Amino acid sequence: MLAPIQLANLLPGLPVTLPLLGAALLASTRSWLSRAWADLLGITFAALALLADVLLLERALHGSFVYWFGNWYPRGSMVLGIGFVIEPIGAGLAVLAALLTLLAFVFSWKHVDSGENHFQPLMLVFLAAMSGFVLTVDIFNLFVFFELMSTSAFALCGLKTAEPAPLQGTFNFAVTNTVAAFLMLSGIGILYAVTGALNMVQIGLALGTRHDPLVLFAATLLICGFLIKGAIVPFHLWLPDAHAVAPTPVCVLFSGLMVELGLFAVVRLSSIVFGQSFALHTHALRAILATFAIATVLLGGIMCYAEHHLKRLLAFSTISHAGLMLLAFAVGGPLSVAAMLTYLLAHALIKSALFFTTGILLHRFRSISERALFGKGRGFGWVAVLWFLGGAGLAAAPPFATFVGEAGASFTAEQIGFPLVSWVFLFGGALTSAAVFRVGMRIFFGSGDEPPTDAAAEIGELPETKEQARIEIYQVVPPRVPAVCGRGPGVFGKVGARCCSVLPLQWPARARMPTLSTRATLSQCTPLAGGRRCPVQRCVAPWAACLAFCSP
Amino acid sequence: MPHALHAFPYFVAAWLFFCGLYGIVTSRHLVHTVICLTVLQSSTYVLLLAIGYRVGAQAPVFADIAPGSVTVDPVVQALMLTDVVVEAVVVALLLAMVVKAHEKTGCVSPDELRSMRG
Repeated sequence: MLAPIQLANLLPGLPVTLPLLGAALLASTRSWLSRAWADLLGITFAALALLADVLLLERALHGSFVYWFGNWYPRGSMVLGIGFVIEPIGAGLAVLAALLTLLAFVFSWKHVDSGENHFQPLMLVFLAAMSGFVLTVDIFNLFVFFELMSTSAFALCGLKTAEPAPLQGTFNFAVTNTVAAFLMLSGIGILYAVTGALNMVQIGLALGTRHDPLVLFAATLLICGFLIKGAIVPFHLWLPDAHAVAPTPVCVLFSGLMVELGLFAVVRLSSIVFGQSFALHTHALRAILATFAIATVLLGGIMCYAEHHLKRLLAFSTISHAGLMLLAFAVGGPLSVAAMLTYLLAHALIKSALFFTTGILLHRFRSISERALFGKGRGFGWVAVLWFLGGAGLAAAPPFATFVGEAGASFTAEQIGFPLVSWVFLFGGALTSAAVFRVGMRIFFGSGDEPPTDAAAEIGELPETKEQARIEIYQVVPPRVPAVCGRGPGVFGKVGARCCSVLPLQWPARARMPTLSTRATLSQCTPLAGGRRCPVQRCVAPWAACLAFCSP
Repeated sequence: MPHALHAFPYFVAAWLFFCGLYGIVTSRHLVHTVICLTVLQSSTYVLLLAIGYRVGAQAPVFADIAPGSVTVDPVVQALMLTDVVVEAVVVALLLAMVVKAHEKTGCVSPDELRSMRG
């Protein structure tokens, strides 16, 4: 018997289908549409997706549920269909994806080169893939969304195909990420061979505590695949190239969310699929992840400081901060997952603000190398303010939500007797924000020496907008929104905290979810609650580090 | 020697994977890189089909076989088909980029493209 179709029943599918519909519409009509109409349609569909995501998040906060496509409910313990799990973390990330896409559309309004209106449908496909990636509970579906995300990202990255540098950067990006996808697929195949299931929860149940070389091999393949996406050393090489050549609005989505989704998938897999299987070996897993994470933080931070091309600089800072997020997760325990997700949220917003600001500079001065911009930003008060606020946010300075994340991770680490973590956080944050502050001081105040000429700094430095004398108001708004939202555990912080409290997906009675004892909220992680580093040091150190590097 | 024979496809898959990876790493020609990527990809085909294979089983076309007869696993075949579709897109995109690169710069070597930076 067919149930009457209600909008409420369709809601869980909308975050994916709405952008896809929009993309299909735009792709089929793009040659007839004027630029303004194409942009307007893009904004409309991104806004609709955002609305659907917010409604979904609202429902998820009242209780997680599973949506089975086509009403293919599980029979007994056998999962037949593909499901979306609507839980606060996934829905929250979908909201973030839609929000960033919407802002990117607003930023690119009429001026960022759209490659004959190819830009808008590709962005919508990208959004659909990201939303599907965070909501799905089917591991093969995860792979498909991963590939959809990657493919649209390659195309977006190579929009400016008229130049050799973008082609080279895109090519690296595409080959590396495709290899990652094959690693994942092999892992999925082996897991299917072992368990006969594709649903992540069912795989987790079927694996149980089984821990043999085959499971380990599958886990390695899957985690390596996602770490390539997450740009963790030694798999980070594609990221700076991709960022250097991608248009600014695309960089926002890459740095803000795509990279972090790789890490999110690692969290999801290691808690749901391999949670029990690795239960006796969590220390080994965490030690390995922490080692790679610390290497990533150090390398990314140092490269970031050494870089003079603004987009590459921010890309390296993304690598460093991806390392910090992985480190937060590797510390272990529910609080660290909460800390990681808070950090992810804050970093996404702060990094978007920085990229948008870079976009404004590129638009205004036709260049994004530190040298060419030297001293040119005098009199751009509000751009400078945004830039410096972003830099302070990267250092996890107190009014920003990164601070809460950093404090949560350090606090947990100190409790388990691993105080090194808080120093790594301080070092990574200080180094990346120092680079941002140095660039800011040179560009907006012309202080310090003129930076040396750097051949590498000229790559992919193509103006992506038409010449225009003044900056329009709509280009000012997008960077401001994330900068404000990223500050303090305000509305977003609260949602983040709520998101973090419900990591174990609640599963309907038909197939039981292994209940992880993860019930921590961020209230437990009051940053000043304890730990060896005193509150003053915690609050002052990032600011001091920022200021110390101010004078290059 | 049933065990050795059962393991054979997995060795083939691993071999193809490393061949493809070696080709990508050492490639000096962009088209060559893309083809190596497809070699690497074919390892996943072999792996998936080997996982679903059962000795003496029929093809999973249920219209004209007796109920209850043994078939190979159709799920992995569906996965493999999806894989083929996904990768066709990636390869088409990459080859299109190579064509663009050749149009604009007249070269198809990653090193030359890199030297054209700046």
